[in-house]
Amino acid sequence: MNIRNFSIIAHIDHGKSTLADRLLQETNALSKREARAQFLDSMDLERERGITIKASAVTVHHTCDGQDFELNFIDTPGHVDFTYEVSRALTACEGAVLVVDATQGVQAQTVANAYLAAAGGLELIPVINKIDLPAADPDGVAMEIEQVFGLRAEDCVLVSAKSGEGILPLLDLICRKLPPPRPAKTDKLRALIFDAKYDDYRGVVVYIRVFDGSLKTGDRIRMMGTGRNFAVSELTRYTPHPTRVKEIGWAQVGSISANIKSLADVRVGDTVTLDIAPADEALAGYEEPKQMVFCDFYPSNADADVGSGRKADFEALREAIEKLNINDASFTFEVQHSEALGFGYRCGFLGLLHMDIVQERLEREGGVEVVQTAPTVKYMIDLNDGTSVEIHNPAELPDPSQIKAIREPIAKLEIMCPTENIGDLIKLCDSRRGTFKAQRYLSDHRQILDYELPMAEIIYDFYDKLKSITRGYGTMDYQVTEYRADNLTKINIMVNGEPVEALSLMCHRSSAEARSRLILTKLRAQIDRHQFEIALQASVGGKIIARESIKAMRKNVTAKCYGGDISRKRKLLEKQKEGKKRMKQIGSVTIPQEAFLAVLDQGD
Amino acid sequence: MARLPTIPLTVAGVAKHELDSQAGPASPPVTESTAFDAASLAQGASYRGAYVHVPFCRHKCHYCDFYSFVDTENRAQSYVERLEVELKTSLEFIAGPLETVFVGGGTPTMLGADLLRRMLSSIRAVLPIGSDAEWSVEANPETVDEAVADALAQSGVRRVSLGAQSFNPRLLKALERDHDPASVARAVGLLRRAGVPQVNLDLIFAIPGSTIGDWESDLCRALEIAPDHLSAYGLVYEPNTPLAVKLRKGAVTRLPEDDEAEQYEFVVETLAKCGYERYEISNWSLPGNHCRHNVLYWENADWWGFGPSAASHGNGVRWRNIPRLATWLERGPFAPVEEIESLGMDGSAGECFMLGLRMMAGIPLERVSQLLRSGKRARSRVQSIANFTADGLLIEQDGHLRLTDRGLTIADIVLSALI
Repeated sequence: MNIRNFSIIAHIDHGKSTLADRLLQETNALSKREARAQFLDSMDLERERGITIKASAVTVHHTCDGQDFELNFIDTPGHVDFTYEVSRALTACEGAVLVVDATQGVQAQTVANAYLAAAGGLELIPVINKIDLPAADPDGVAMEIEQVFGLRAEDCVLVSAKSGEGILPLLDLICRKLPPPRPAKTDKLRALIFDAKYDDYRGVVVYIRVFDGSLKTGDRIRMMGTGRNFAVSELTRYTPHPTRVKEIGWAQVGSISANIKSLADVRVGDTVTLDIAPADEALAGYEEPKQMVFCDFYPSNADADVGSGRKADFEALREAIEKLNINDASFTFEVQHSEALGFGYRCGFLGLLHMDIVQERLEREGGVEVVQTAPTVKYMIDLNDGTSVEIHNPAELPDPSQIKAIREPIAKLEIMCPTENIGDLIKLCDSRRGTFKAQRYLSDHRQILDYELPMAEIIYDFYDKLKSITRGYGTMDYQVTEYRADNLTKINIMVNGEPVEALSLMCHRSSAEARSRLILTKLRAQIDRHQFEIALQASVGGKIIARESIKAMRKNVTAKCYGGDISRKRKLLEKQKEGKKRMKQIGSVTIPQEAFLAVLDQGD
Repeated sequence: MARLPTIPLTVAGVAKHELDSQAGPASPPVTESTAFDAASLAQGASYRGAYVHVPFCRHKCHYCDFYSFVDTENRAQSYVERLEVELKTSLEFIAGPLETVFVGGGTPTMLGADLLRRMLSSIRAVLPIGSDAEWSVEANPETVDEAVADALAQSGVRRVSLGAQSFNPRLLKALERDHDPASVARAVGLLRRAGVPQVNLDLIFAIPGSTIGDWESDLCRALEIAPDHLSAYGLVYEPNTPLAVKLRKGAVTRLPEDDEAEQYEFVVETLAKCGYERYEISNWSLPGNHCRHNVLYWENADWWGFGPSAASHGNGVRWRNIPRLATWLERGPFAPVEEIESLGMDGSAGECFMLGLRMMAGIPLERVSQLLRSGKRARSRVQSIANFTADGLLIEQDGHLRLTDRGLTIADIVLSALI
């Protein structure tokens, strides 16, 4: 049988999903009616944000040069945060279609994923999409593709996924140009897990690509990485409608249902083999997901019922997080107690977008309102005794006398931008402790800027700044490469002399004063006057580096209270009292929850 | 008189009379509770005061949230007649002797001399009023003429309270207050001549756009008139008043807290120098001229309110008559009531603190310990009192618990913790 396994690499909005749908339609796998835009993205959220969060695998047939080809299209996540998942999905393929928008040109994430594919030895087919648009510049984009990827400009396939132009030639090219799957190396089953999803009815659905042997319904399987055992209850292939099959054979793609309750039991990148006849060796490349960005989620009490509300909110958040984790095992969570915000969770994410998506899904699918603190990175603390500890919460920082060095994650950053913005972007990167690496020519109008930047600086408002400098045209990609020591320090915030751990943060010594002043100014605006003056201080290593004060309240008294006023005035006071209950008491200072958030909010 | 069925009390303690399903289709549905239902709940109350609400005004001021309006239908006569019915029927619950009678509004003097005489004599004739009772009537300076002053004095009114608010035309305008500043002194003169022994002036400070200088001259003008009693209020932006709407829309700007505090501190100092005794957060008097009726509110005593929108309190039950003249005129004999609240011991104790601590004298310590003896909130109240005492906002002195001077300026912090 002729099999071609491939995926599509594209920047967000460059038309990957539309192209995928068009390919399905052209092979008659999907009727026009069914091709509601973007069949492959099943979640509302994905559709709305125009990004694909979880991969699917679709099988269609195409006849080329008189032969029948089985085309397995493996969808990949479209964002930088899912690099590992992308790499696994790409490993399941022999080739990739590299889609670039004819009006936008090559973008940073496309480059990152194309490099991943090239590193995995995949054959690339460059495709220039949206050639129907008036602003399309296929020749210029083709030159960029040649410049960046070394793929010949004249090899680019011009298509319009919207009109269908160029789709058939593309299908033919996939059959002709992409290599067939490698032959089996053993007759024992080895299948790569490249994705897993949670389905309310079927439990965990595990997407696999079989490399060796074959898999049948009823087989008892073993996950070679985790050692877990499951009985296969259902095998499904997607044509693109889910179709039950008895067997998934060599080089084929499909999904397993095996009564698996949680995604935590399944690891993308793991190898599936048969329990009774296990393979000797797992497929290469399995890694644990690496969380790079951390933040806390707390239940938002904004309109909770007074009194018992608090605990119930936390329970709701716990349920939502646990449920979401079944769906997305790539974020971590642990119970966190903040003196300011009560009980919540500290969560770790693959990146910033991943964090945003998890928060949105918690709210949308879990029906909880969450309060999110500013993201932080993970620091490595080298101690005097030669050991090291990891912290992702400033509160966990060991006593300074024990610390030899604090190391922070450094990322390799690649920015694609209009040439005219280069100067401003260099200024931005330099102000963020960046190290200039290279400036590369992409086209007459666009360049690539390579920098090394501490991850902590990237997550602090960097992307927004990049977007505003380039008026939306700049894109970036980053990858953490190492941990490096720097003059890092912890800023402590004190309210009337009481340290408020929830407000402490890690920061480079050179920006400590400026950050402190900003925080104290915000805090002052958020805290109501009290019956006494409140001192707000920021300190580093015991030394006060900034201070503010909130003057004592001078007047707060109900002027009139006669017979007809009593009920209403009492209710007003009760409301004040309840409002206060929901605030956080630091010593004798009451701080509204919003104050913590305003302070933690990273906007300047 | 036929007893109504037991009042269904909702969880919140607010009773709304439900449709009487037993009554059959012919009888009209009873949709409102009346003062009778409320007073039945308040059994055991001993009413010490009477409040009568007269809802008429010559002009509706923008800061005012009392139920009052400009009467365009000449309903003053009907009002007095209806009031007489209410007075008589309420007797069932009022044993007396009543220590105070307070006729407020609105503007009671809008009734004119004749109706005023009739109303006051009906009150005196019907209610069981003690011989040394305090009789107070509120008045708008523009409505006081010789006939009205005589009517008041001859009806036994011992105390007249005049709404002066300010003597500064610019500030009166800011309040949309419609009177000539000179009318205040004129009215006081007429009342004195007629033989009213106690006169009160109401003043408002912290009016948008006011300075400490404005306030000083207002106070001077007031003191020139030599009132026996002064009420000075920091302007309150009551919800649903035109003033509050203006504030929300940004058409007026609230005086900064520090400026308001300065004006309050100024009046406290000035009146002390002039021999006026502050006996409540916003009230001053020459010795022996406290308003006994208002003190009764702050002691959380029982009183009965007559007329539309009038509030009453008996034995931990609060109710308010419907604030609509037409409804009140139609229904009877008891006043229709819009809200009944049964506070319970704990809730009543909270009100005792909220009200009692408004007075300089504070609350007698034996009363305090009685209030803290039981109830769910007692423990936290004990703790709060200890904390505020340590912070210098409360003090135990002369056998009373009271707010300190500093505590008085930020009383709501203390009171909200103790309710």
